[in-house]
Amino acid sequence: MAKPISLNICHLYPDLMDTYGDKGNIIALIKRCQWRKINVKITNISIGQSLSTFDFDFYFFGGGQDRQQIIVSRDLQSKAYYLKKAIESKSVLLSICGGYQLLQKYFKTLDGKIIKGIGLFNAYTIGSRDRMIQNLLIKINNNIKNQIFNSYPTSDIRYPISELIGFENHSGKTYLGQTVQPLGKVIIGAGNNGEDQTEGAVYKNAFGCYLHGSLLPKNPHFADFLILKALERRYGKVKLESLDDNLEWQAHQAAIERTRSSP
Amino acid sequence: MLDVRLITAITVGKLIALLIGFLGKTSATAAPGLFALKIDPKLVKKLSKQIQFGSIIISGTNGKTTTARLISTILSQRYKIVHNRAGSNLLRGIASTLTSQSSLLGILKSNLAIWEVDEATLPEAINNTSPKIIVLLNLFRDQLDRYGEVDTIRTKWQKSLSKLPKSSTLILNADDPGISFLTKSFKGKAIFFGISDKQINLPKTANVADIRHCLNCQSNLKYTAILSAHMGHYSCPNCTFKRPNPNIAASNLIFNSDFSTTANLTIDYSLLTIHYSLPGLYNVYNVLAAFAVAKALKTDLSIPKKAVHEFSAAFGRFQKIKINDKNIIIFLIKNPAGANEVIRIIGQKDKLNLLLILNDNIADGRDVSWIWDTDWELLSSKAKKVQISGTRAWDLATRLKYAGYKLGKNDIYREIYYSIKQALKKLDKKDTLLVLPTYTAMLEVQKSLNKMGVETQWQNQ
Repeated sequence: MAKPISLNICHLYPDLMDTYGDKGNIIALIKRCQWRKINVKITNISIGQSLSTFDFDFYFFGGGQDRQQIIVSRDLQSKAYYLKKAIESKSVLLSICGGYQLLQKYFKTLDGKIIKGIGLFNAYTIGSRDRMIQNLLIKINNNIKNQIFNSYPTSDIRYPISELIGFENHSGKTYLGQTVQPLGKVIIGAGNNGEDQTEGAVYKNAFGCYLHGSLLPKNPHFADFLILKALERRYGKVKLESLDDNLEWQAHQAAIERTRSSP
Repeated sequence: MLDVRLITAITVGKLIALLIGFLGKTSATAAPGLFALKIDPKLVKKLSKQIQFGSIIISGTNGKTTTARLISTILSQRYKIVHNRAGSNLLRGIASTLTSQSSLLGILKSNLAIWEVDEATLPEAINNTSPKIIVLLNLFRDQLDRYGEVDTIRTKWQKSLSKLPKSSTLILNADDPGISFLTKSFKGKAIFFGISDKQINLPKTANVADIRHCLNCQSNLKYTAILSAHMGHYSCPNCTFKRPNPNIAASNLIFNSDFSTTANLTIDYSLLTIHYSLPGLYNVYNVLAAFAVAKALKTDLSIPKKAVHEFSAAFGRFQKIKINDKNIIIFLIKNPAGANEVIRIIGQKDKLNLLLILNDNIADGRDVSWIWDTDWELLSSKAKKVQISGTRAWDLATRLKYAGYKLGKNDIYREIYYSIKQALKKLDKKDTLLVLPTYTAMLEVQKSLNKMGVETQWQNQ
């Protein structure tokens, strides 16, 4: 029998960046690993705790309120070096909304204040007067889509693995630098800024986006893609056992239908 | 001199109400006020000035409907009350109520107003009604898709409260740091209510605190007791901010198995025991807030004691219904903090028959991500049968799957009427079906039950 494999997850600032149900992503990662007998370990890292002594395969960084975001921004600077090093050594990172913004170069608020990011993504965010609050449907960029196609362990071709569905709730408008790829193209919703139809950012195995919802439970193809990427770092080529994702895909489809009929 | 604009506004409001009545749309409670306000935007301001004993405003994320009704019941012997009972708690709802209660010439018979007010509407409502008393229950993440952030709302509240005159009274929840903090820059008098017990006899849920840091200085708040989410006994280790001593305190809470509650109340120096047929922690706060209003108006305490004892909840907020020989109890759920308290209440029992309904219409909040902040895990081993329904039934089904529930194909239907029928059919005799709907789902539940021949007493409330 093969040796059991395990996934080492770091949840960044779970006590401060925990609005909008992003915890569901952690729940999805845990369950989808456990159902496959993959061991999962979650470590919570927050203010004042160092990243230097750990070697995580996966980082999760959720959204929070503006006030919390300022507190986190200050602390994050001391973690920047280790976080960037981890991404250079193929760790996977999923960041959403506030977390995504803090990993960019900076966030300039409406009144001109600069909240410093760490520049993992070559992008920046500017505060705006409109709150972009709605269902968000995107088409995943081709490169990632092809990888998902090759990694998602199902024989059922009915599943539309080329899209992601979630809910956005932000007023900051994000603009990507030339060198950074978007996660996808907006079909319905605003995405990064409501102007250029881009949504999210990808740098190596680090992903940023505005998709709450929670994202991973009803986008199982993306969840498995991230799990696989994170496992490959330690174990080389891995094949995931397929799961019965019928319910997840129903949720995915129902959410898309609602978005199309009453966005 | 006659105020022609006001009279026209009232007339139009009344005509629209009449028309809606003919069409049989009992739920359209906002429309008359909406149109009346278009004609006279100062309608609420003008009519409020007539009200001899002024207005009482009740706001907060959870419990405002129940609290407003409790207060109304307590004060109805002494005052002629105007109250937006019918549901709309935006300014247009207040305008609708005033329009329907006033004569065509704009004369009101009432001498006290009780307004249940939506969190986002509070500043506007304060502006228009110049309230003597404002009751603030709690503030949690709720429909963030509509409001933006909890912090944003609190900042707006604070600004609005700071403009109130010295003669006004704030009635505040001492246990919610985001509420007790609101006395800062308020000039009037504050009355605090709170729970003294350090522990309560309900199952624990995962914490969904929206406040962990001092709102003055950002230090980590220290808690000697956490009662629910961020409500409890807190103090800041770095500055002077701490839970104020409540003027009205509940202790020795007993949550009985028939979903009734017993508690001791300390009000100034008097002690009394109360018993009432409402479950859970929030209703303790609702009852305390109602007693605080009674105290502020110098009402003899025997009156609220009796009123609370005889009180039964508004539709959907713990409503018991009998249909043939089967029982239904409805618990409205609308945000993680509130849903967690419902889960704690029903988690006292096991072998539960559940019908959970998740809608994502505007009044529910379009964003359903809050179900992932809600501790469904607590009930997974206690559920005997689970049915799921609503426009986002599949999201909720997925949530429950990840919380360890076993669901069958025939347990999930989008259509609410069908789901209720199925759930009742599957229900064993003498069992009780617990229905947990979001707001618009609750209205559909009401309609479905009417269709099945259940006369609902709340129809015209």
